[in-house]
Amino acid sequence: MGALLELSNIDKSFHENRVLKSVNISFMAGEVHAIVGENGAGKSTLMKIIGGIYRRDTGELKLEGTPVNVDSPIDAMNHGISLVHQELSLADNRTVAQNIFCNREPTNRLGFIKWSELYRMAQDLFDDMAVDIHPKSLAGSLNVARQQLVEIAKALSLNARIIIMDEPTSSLSEQEVDSLYGIVERLRDRGVTVVFISHKLTEVFRVADRITVLRDGELIGTLPTADTSSSEIIRMMVGRNIEDLYPPKTKEVGDALMDVKDLGFRNQFSDISFTVKRGEILGLAGLVGAQRSESMLALFGAAPKTSGTVEVHGKPITIKSPRDAIAAGICYLTEDRRSKGLFQTMTVSWNIVVTSLKKILATGSFYQGRKRQDAVSRLMESLDINPRRPENWVQNLSGGNQQKVLLGKWLFAEPEILIVDEPTRGVDVGAKSQIHLALRELVTTGIGVVVISSEQPEIVGLCDRVLVFKEGRITAELSGDEVTQEEIVKYATV
Amino acid sequence: MKKLFYSIYNRLGFHSTALLGVLIGLSIIMRFRSPYFLTWFNFEILFMGFILEAIMAIGMTLVIISGGIDLSVSSVLPFSAILTGLLITAGVPVALAVGITLLAALSVGMINATLKIVLDVHPFIATLAMMLTVRGLAVAMSGGQSISGFPAEFAFLGQGYIFGIPVPILIFIILAVGLGTLLRHHKFFQQIYFIGYDSKAARVSGINVTLMNYFVFGLSSLLAGLAGIIAASQYGTAHNSFAIGAELKVIAAVVIGGTNIVRGGEGNMFGTVLGVLFMAIVFNAFAMSGIDTYWQEIVNGIMLLVAIFMVEAARKRQNRLALG
Repeated sequence: MGALLELSNIDKSFHENRVLKSVNISFMAGEVHAIVGENGAGKSTLMKIIGGIYRRDTGELKLEGTPVNVDSPIDAMNHGISLVHQELSLADNRTVAQNIFCNREPTNRLGFIKWSELYRMAQDLFDDMAVDIHPKSLAGSLNVARQQLVEIAKALSLNARIIIMDEPTSSLSEQEVDSLYGIVERLRDRGVTVVFISHKLTEVFRVADRITVLRDGELIGTLPTADTSSSEIIRMMVGRNIEDLYPPKTKEVGDALMDVKDLGFRNQFSDISFTVKRGEILGLAGLVGAQRSESMLALFGAAPKTSGTVEVHGKPITIKSPRDAIAAGICYLTEDRRSKGLFQTMTVSWNIVVTSLKKILATGSFYQGRKRQDAVSRLMESLDINPRRPENWVQNLSGGNQQKVLLGKWLFAEPEILIVDEPTRGVDVGAKSQIHLALRELVTTGIGVVVISSEQPEIVGLCDRVLVFKEGRITAELSGDEVTQEEIVKYATV
Repeated sequence: MKKLFYSIYNRLGFHSTALLGVLIGLSIIMRFRSPYFLTWFNFEILFMGFILEAIMAIGMTLVIISGGIDLSVSSVLPFSAILTGLLITAGVPVALAVGITLLAALSVGMINATLKIVLDVHPFIATLAMMLTVRGLAVAMSGGQSISGFPAEFAFLGQGYIFGIPVPILIFIILAVGLGTLLRHHKFFQQIYFIGYDSKAARVSGINVTLMNYFVFGLSSLLAGLAGIIAASQYGTAHNSFAIGAELKVIAAVVIGGTNIVRGGEGNMFGTVLGVLFMAIVFNAFAMSGIDTYWQEIVNGIMLLVAIFMVEAARKRQNRLALG
């Protein structure tokens, strides 16, 4: 049987960063095809190229053997390709039926919408999918799972032959996942090709006919599910050696700095208990959505929590806001530097000093310019922030240098416990190892660092001890030789 | 009675029902303070006192649903009043003068939309600039003088009656019902909601976002132009000081009517009609209640605050229901 959609030698770069490297992949009619790989492997980019959201740099797309161009989502739609977005974009206070048939509503000759026909058409679609959604309900009144089903119904109404889903189950309950995969199977039986990205290997093995593994933008292999095992897939996802890129780990670990007990928020995360010790880097590993950032933000006082106690130096402290946490010596380096971490249209210099303005005060509460300049230039030197112009606006810096400014900001505050969330996301290789080195140097001064990272090589290469999170709970604590990607993936997925 | 309430509630939704309740309550209170409040005569007075804003609110509703805002309406009004006045006093036939003026008003909306779409200027800024420019144009055209001396036939538009209803109110009713029905049931108008909610997603669904923007800003300016012509006819004169600050009253009426100003894609014409009535009553009620006129603006401000607070409470309640 020939392929329905065939991609050959697909290349895609963003700026200097090559995200996809001559990828060859084909999709059969009526198959469920899972794409797996670590974060940053290029899965989403590949899907967006198929869906017409990104343009490939080079390579060819063939639909039933004929070369086609898919340059916009509308192009994709016309070729029968539909992308169900990770972030859904239904108009909240329009009805489900209106959202499905947006701009394609049945009308009379004067352009007035024939409501009863519209609702009947939507009802037919839902009947066909065997889902129970009322066409007249407002899209905003449905939960995420049902909104996703509406998106799928929309795809079907467009006669989609290929439906692409980017992590469709990331925010669904178990029951909802079951019913979604029931629908996926029914679609397959009708000859629709379903391509989906997932991090959850158990699910992949349950529904996929074939699995494709991507790693660092390269296609490692496509295997029929029946002929492979989850350990083989994990090996294919991980397989590489990067240990030498990282600074050597600590030999000596000091006494406990911070004790966290029973941190929890509703049913989002619970029983989060751990200790941070002087001189170590503690890694928090897990999949996106495992509630690592959420629980650490709760610890920091920037997100709600319903339980949990924190002790610093054996003394219990109350953290109600980030102010309390900073006063106790805990700092948090955010994952989203654009919106939460840095003032984009202020200078590098002010961004660095903003959390600890007291340190640059002269007598009488006036800022002392020289104190600020001295401190800032020292930090810019040691972190190698380029260009070395303190009066540059942060938004004019590259991603790597912005990340260094963010780090510098918290170093200036001289924390005892530093939590860093995805410290090297969107950062090039050079800046990455400079940041790793800076973190390692930091802990040698006797502070404790907690690193949240979704890049397992980073966790393995950088951290002395690792907590693995899965669905809001700690499933394993690994240290020493146990810290391997295979172990982490095992506890994070299975 | 209970049945009636629920059938109203189901048709109008929480917000409009609540607003309707407030309007009825306010009317009853006012009835006790003044026996003349609930008379057709008083209704005519109070509604005519807000009629120019009411007509502009119709266009503003569409603009705000589409995710925009139009501050320039309060300047298009005097500009149009003066332009018609100049044309008519120069001897141009009334119908032609009105036609030319409407075209001129429409062109302001075209510029607003162009600034938004082509130059990517936020509509707040774009229409603020147009508000200043067009008001300046009105001053320059009139030399700061009042323009008057219109023929009797022109007065009909602002002062005449048909079936015992003042012509401007009739125009408002026709526009509100007509555009309200289109907004609710017509495919073209329904697209305004989608571009207001998420213009990128709307574009992906094949909606011509540029065209829709030209349409809503054009319509808003056109209605402001119409309001200007009515003003000239009603007062028998045209002056550049007409409608100063009216844009904010118009926006307030639309927002009180439940149209979401923070995020587009939400609102309807019936709500705007209620919002307009609310504003008209608030601005009229105190004239009748005998409260010292020096205190009026303070009370008006507080009433607005209460109304807006109510709108937000209704929205929160709705969101909670949606989530629960």
